[in-house]
Formats: sequence, structure tokens, C-alpha cells
Amino acid sequence: MRNAAPLTLTPPWRAIGNIVLFIATLSIVVPLLLVIATSLKPPTEIHGGLPWPQEPTLGNYGDVFDKIPLGLYFWNSAATTALRVGGQLAVALLAAYAFARFEFRGRDLLFALTLGAMMLPHSLTFLPTYLMISWLGWFDSWWGLIVPNLAAPVGVFLLRQHMLAFPRDLLDAAAIDGAGPWRALWLVILPNIQPALAAIGILLFIDCWNEYFWPLIITESQNAMTVQIGIRRFLDAERGDELGPLMAGVVLVSLPAMAVFLWFQRRILETFVSAGLKG
Amino acid sequence: MSASLTLGHAEAALRPRARRHARHLLPWLLLSPLLLLLAVFTYWPLLHTIYLSVVDVRLYQPDRFVGLANYQGLFRSPSFSAAAWNTVIYIALSLPLKVLLPIPIAVFVWCAGARMAALHRSILFVPTLLSFVVVSILWIWMLNPVMGMFQSVLRPLGLQMPALLSDASTAIYTIIGVSAWKVIGFNALLYLAGLASIPRELIESMRLDGASDWRITRSLLLPLLSPTIYFVAITSVLFTVQQVFTPINIMTGGGPANATTNLFYLAYEMAFESFNIGFASATALLLFIGLGALAALKAWLLGRRVHYA
Repeated sequence: MRNAAPLTLTPPWRAIGNIVLFIATLSIVVPLLLVIATSLKPPTEIHGGLPWPQEPTLGNYGDVFDKIPLGLYFWNSAATTALRVGGQLAVALLAAYAFARFEFRGRDLLFALTLGAMMLPHSLTFLPTYLMISWLGWFDSWWGLIVPNLAAPVGVFLLRQHMLAFPRDLLDAAAIDGAGPWRALWLVILPNIQPALAAIGILLFIDCWNEYFWPLIITESQNAMTVQIGIRRFLDAERGDELGPLMAGVVLVSLPAMAVFLWFQRRILETFVSAGLKG
Repeated sequence: MSASLTLGHAEAALRPRARRHARHLLPWLLLSPLLLLLAVFTYWPLLHTIYLSVVDVRLYQPDRFVGLANYQGLFRSPSFSAAAWNTVIYIALSLPLKVLLPIPIAVFVWCAGARMAALHRSILFVPTLLSFVVVSILWIWMLNPVMGMFQSVLRPLGLQMPALLSDASTAIYTIIGVSAWKVIGFNALLYLAGLASIPRELIESMRLDGASDWRITRSLLLPLLSPTIYFVAITSVLFTVQQVFTPINIMTGGGPANATTNLFYLAYEMAFESFNIGFASATALLLFIGLGALAALKAWLLGRRVHYA
């Protein structure tokens, strides 16, 4: 997108284009602004009145922690997400290394099975997995949230792509210097694919942080409940008189993914788009 | 010469067989965590689902083989036919919204100046970052007929906000709209990446030959975009069936009167509300078979027309 516009639109088309983009932008931005504005309203302004607060207050952000144990939910979400994403990256890194750099019997079949796991929907496997987790005694625990999700075929696939594109000469040089396969992975490959690893980590983070179905069926108490389940429970419990705290909770729950996005904006857009295209 | 150098340490050079043995095992060692996890948490559950769909699971007694009785029971149940029909509606109406609508958005963003394009890309990405829980809460509130945002705009105009989510004739379309809102921006970004990879020279030479924008779009951009369109169409089906679970669960609970339930949601309800494991497994399998057939059909229909540039 370096050059100027690729198509020189005729005026009517340009007008249509502007209208389409304006509507699309408005439909995304306006609801979000309304949520933020409502979260800043004092109780007296919540119903009726203007869409924006006249006397903005952060009171709702304190209240939401009194109404529900949001701090505990945040702790569960943050810790299980960190452990799960770290584990997913480690498992995927080792597997991608094996697929990209070694010849062995059955490799292509195993790679196909890995990709096939991407196509098998949750809807097909959730019940036996749930029964197994209960049998292991991991219901309503961090284990139940983390362990069944440690294999991330998307990560294996993307990391393998990056390792295949890795210059052969560097690895040969390392081998001549006496580096075994572990040292080659640790000292040569890992530092060079760090950007890709970080990008895939961000992708997995957003995925895990926003997950709903699995924590819904596998958690039931503050031991393991995540923010998404917590905020959903709050929605059920409030009867329309706690809209301010609810909206404050919605903003807080969305902040981590938003913050990560703002930090790594360009890299995320590239990763998501390429992951989407290839995966 | 180089071979002996690559072998590295003297010890390995002395015992080539042991070393070759270790090299043989290493990839398996590297793969073992992934393979173990996939076997235990993906492929074993797949087989177990098939098993559960043909037995009657009883407490404190061995499972009883019942053949296809679970499937027959499903076909007789009205909630199954409602869910199956709704699944078809979800897919059929979501596809044009999620696959076709993002194309013009992407083209228009592509034609906007570089700075505007960057701004639009960021905004379009935001719904992808929000969780479906947040998106559902957001729209429940916006659409609420008593205290929602839309009604506060409509009421001064003397109009009444219809109760879209509690009306059986509109609820499913509302959920389709909300789930489309969540992914249209992301799909537009996929198309944008496809457009960005089209060589400028092709466009320039068509323009020199006097081709109009419309002609360039139709006979150059769309064919070159077809692999992306194909990909988006395939993923949108899976996405629609799976992800729509969250808005169904939060916004309507499958109701009113089964108007918004789909097969995945029905399998969940059968498993965790009526504790009918056999029915739930049979539903999940039928859904999977249906999706597989649909994917094969689409690969056959679309695959022949995809142009890989």
C-alpha cells in the first residue's frame, strides 16, 4: 500500500465508498464509546439523559469489584492464560522443530493429523474431554483450564513455516562448530524466530483470554472462574440497576487484549492476517 | 572431511551407531508432548464420542449398547429438527454477510489514502479483540426495548423499539447480525492482505488499455482474490457453527421456543441440562458429518474456480 490509490474511483463510486466506510466505522466506534461513556456515569445519570456523562466518575470501576470478586477472576484468567500460552508455545516449538528439521518415518502422516486437529471442532470432542477432566479430578481447577488446551496446532503450523524458511547455511555453520540439535535450536533458531514466536504468543493470548465455552463448562467457583464467565454471571445477576458497574466490568475485561493490540499493533495485524490466510 | 566435522564431539565420532540411534529418537522426543496431547484430548475424545453415541450410559451399571436408537430418538425430537433447521439458516444467512460484504469494504479501504487505510485497519480489527461475551452484553444493552440505546433514540421520534431478542421471528436474525458484526472487519482485513499482494503492473496495464474500475474489479481483482474468498467461506462455516454458541447462550439461551438454538447448542444442553450423553454425542456427530459434507461440496464447487496467482 505504498503507492497512491490503486483504483482511481469515479466520483459516484468514491462517494459510495466513503459512505460504506463511514457506516462501518460508526457501527464499530459508536457502541464502544457508549459503553465507555456509560461506565463513567454516576447512578443518577444511567437511565435517560444524555449518552455521555455530565459528571464523569470512576465510581463504577470501584463498585464492580464490590459486587463480584473481579480481582479473583482476573487472577485466574491472567495466571491460566500465561501458563497455557507458555505451554502452548513450548510444545509447538519442539514439535515444529521436529517437523521442519528432521526426516523420520511417518512424519507427513503425523503432520496431517496435527493439521486435522485444527479442523475438528470443539463441539465434537467436548463431552469426552469433560468426562475425562472430571475423572482426573480437574473439574473447577486451573489444571482443567490449561492442560486439555496445551496443543495448539496453529502454532505448530506457523512455527514450522518459519523454521522451513530459516537459512540452511546458519544451521550448517552451527553444526560445523559442533552444536548438537538442542544447541542449534536454543542458540541459533530461537533467537532468530523470536518475532514470530512473540506474534503467535499474542494470537494465542487473545484467543485464550476471550475464551468462553470451555471455562463455562469446566469451572463453577472462584477457584477457577475466568473473567469472561465472571462478567457473564454478573449480567445474569444484575436486574438493570447495576448497568454502570456492569459496563465498567466490560471495559476492564476488554482492556488486556486492547492494550496488547495497541502495543504490538503492526505485528498483530500481520500475524492475524497471515495466520488466517495460511491456517 | 566435512562429514567428520559435522559429527562434532569425538565421543560421537567413536560411536557412530549409538549416535545415529539418538538422532533417530530425537524427533520423537521433540514430538512426544504434542502427540500425547493430541491423542488424549483430540483423537481419543473423537473415538469416545462415536462410542457414546451408540450406547446408553447408566449410573453404576455398565454401558448398554443400543445401536442407532439414540439417532432415532433424535430424529423424533422436535428440538432436534428445530436446531438442525436453524443451523442451516445460520450458515446460509451468515455466509453472504461474512464472506461477501467484507469484499467491498476491503476494496474501499484499499483505495483510501495510506493514512486513512491505516486508521480503518485498526478500527476494523477492534471487534476481533473483544470477547464474544463482551460483544453479546454490548448488543443486549443496545437492543434492550426498555432501556437500551436504540430505544432512547427512537422514542423521541415517536417510534417504539421492537423486542428483537424475545420475539421468536426476529431473534435468530439478530444473533446472525451480531455474530457478523464481530467478524466482518477481520474478514475485510484478510481481503485487504490479498489485495495488497496483487501486482500493480497488472492494474496499470489494464488501465492503459482503457479498462474501467468496474472491469478491473471484475476481471482482475475478484479472480486474484478467489483463494482468499474460498478460505473465508470455508472458515466462516466452522466459525458460524462454533462461535455463535456464545451469543446464543448469553443473548437468548436458545429460545424463545427453540428459535435460536443450533446443533452445537443443543448438544451442550443435552449434555449439561438434560444429562443425556447419548443424544448429545449423536447430535455432535451428526453436526460433524453435515459440516464435513458441506466442506466437501464447497471444495468441489468452488475449488474448480479458484485461481492461484
